[in-house]
Amino acid sequence: MALYNLNIPVTDDEVRTLRIGDMVSFSGSAWTCRSRLHRYIFDEGHRLPFSTENQNVLIHVGPIIVRENNAWRLVSFTPTSSIRFEKWGARSVEEWKLKAIVGKTTMGPATMAAMKRFGCVHLAPVGVTPELFVDRITVKDVYLFDELGSIEASWQLHLEKIGPFIVDIDTEGNNYFEQLDRVIDDNRKDAYKKLGIPEDFEYTKLY
Amino acid sequence: MITKTVLADTIFQTIKQGSCYISPDVHYAFEEAVRSESAEVPARALTDTLASLDRSRERISPACPDTGWPLFFCKVGNEAVIEGGILALEEISKEMVARATKEGFLRSTMKHPLSGDDPGTNVGVNVPGFTYKFVPGTDLQITFVAKGGGSECFGGTRYRVVAFADGTAGIKKTIVDWYIAAARAGAICPPAILGIGIGGTSDIATHLAKEAASLRIIGSHHPDTEIAAMENDLTDALNGLGIGCMGLGGKTSVFAVHVEYSYTHIAGIAVAMSANCMVARRATVRIDDAGQVEQLADPHWFNGR
Repeated sequence: MALYNLNIPVTDDEVRTLRIGDMVSFSGSAWTCRSRLHRYIFDEGHRLPFSTENQNVLIHVGPIIVRENNAWRLVSFTPTSSIRFEKWGARSVEEWKLKAIVGKTTMGPATMAAMKRFGCVHLAPVGVTPELFVDRITVKDVYLFDELGSIEASWQLHLEKIGPFIVDIDTEGNNYFEQLDRVIDDNRKDAYKKLGIPEDFEYTKLY
Repeated sequence: MITKTVLADTIFQTIKQGSCYISPDVHYAFEEAVRSESAEVPARALTDTLASLDRSRERISPACPDTGWPLFFCKVGNEAVIEGGILALEEISKEMVARATKEGFLRSTMKHPLSGDDPGTNVGVNVPGFTYKFVPGTDLQITFVAKGGGSECFGGTRYRVVAFADGTAGIKKTIVDWYIAAARAGAICPPAILGIGIGGTSDIATHLAKEAASLRIIGSHHPDTEIAAMENDLTDALNGLGIGCMGLGGKTSVFAVHVEYSYTHIAGIAVAMSANCMVARRATVRIDDAGQVEQLADPHWFNGR
């Protein structure tokens, strides 16, 4: 396990060095995206209204941001579950030329394949820590606020050493959580045993 | 009489507290988990989460931006006199949810299920949710629960029927399998507080599970010794799975397992699971007939627990 502080835009070389279990903090420009923005772009055929060239890190997050004294105030921020965007994951990696996606949980086989092909990683949060982030994030701008609502809009952010996040998908096609699954599956047998569930237990089929 | 003015002020404060202040039992569970964790990554996840939660309390800022479904659980005294009645209680609760959303204590999360349309208030068709229990006396007790989306959407909420012939082994196996599927990769934000409902119709079982997950405090036990033993056995077994905080591996995979049951038609035993995420947000107040307000650490939703 290594610790990295990466500046955005992240380079292809930097991202290909990362391995599952590594911890990364990011500084620079990043943006937010959730269900409605994915649908708006990929299913409804709109174009992303900004360039991702210099901000190739996407954060799956629905922050709490309020309008006060003619300015945006970031109230709370922690990544949301990425797995529900799996349908759009591979296209977002390829078409938005992403080098990193930060989100809770992980992503599926299609996105992992795209990440391997185009050089991109997925990172998961270490805990639920909104208060450790809010002072180090500046809200720069927002797109599609009226169309999609405050949490589904695309917030343009400036990050100052936000993290650490743990790399759960690397560019070699490894997945941190899949590896843990093997350990958990072994432990499952012990759990059955402790609870007196016979090894050959079968459910009566009621429907 | 409990006046509308007292209701409005109390409900707003309860929403704010529920979203921003972690309950003492949950705080203690975090401290215990930090003490017992030896692996570096989950230890950091627990320590940093606790540091963030403590700062949320200081700043009166949401413990997690996903403030989820706004739910109210009310214990209404049979002789309680509420100005405007229960309809006023619901109307004021909706107004206070909208106000708390506008002021940033709740995120504007509730949307139309098909269009995704966002009213910006967390108030819409059938939300907030209201559940009532009628008890002797003149007090009104209100618990606000901010039920997070992770624990609700990603496999933490389940229902099935198990044959009477399959017995407790069948019930326990289902819970182990469900929990692994739901908690992997941190989907339901483990260590969860797991509520299990056994028996009744599907809706009775799922209600019991939700209330056991959201309203019972960590460390409480069912008075029926057989059920209490099931709670302990499941807690031990699930903690041996190695899922850990946010699915990162480690020793604490659940904070508690709470089981509640209903008498039932034994042709098929309903089993329901409801997971509450590790930050388990709730706040409870009791208002007496004179309008005096008292905060409670334990909703005592079920008799004595």
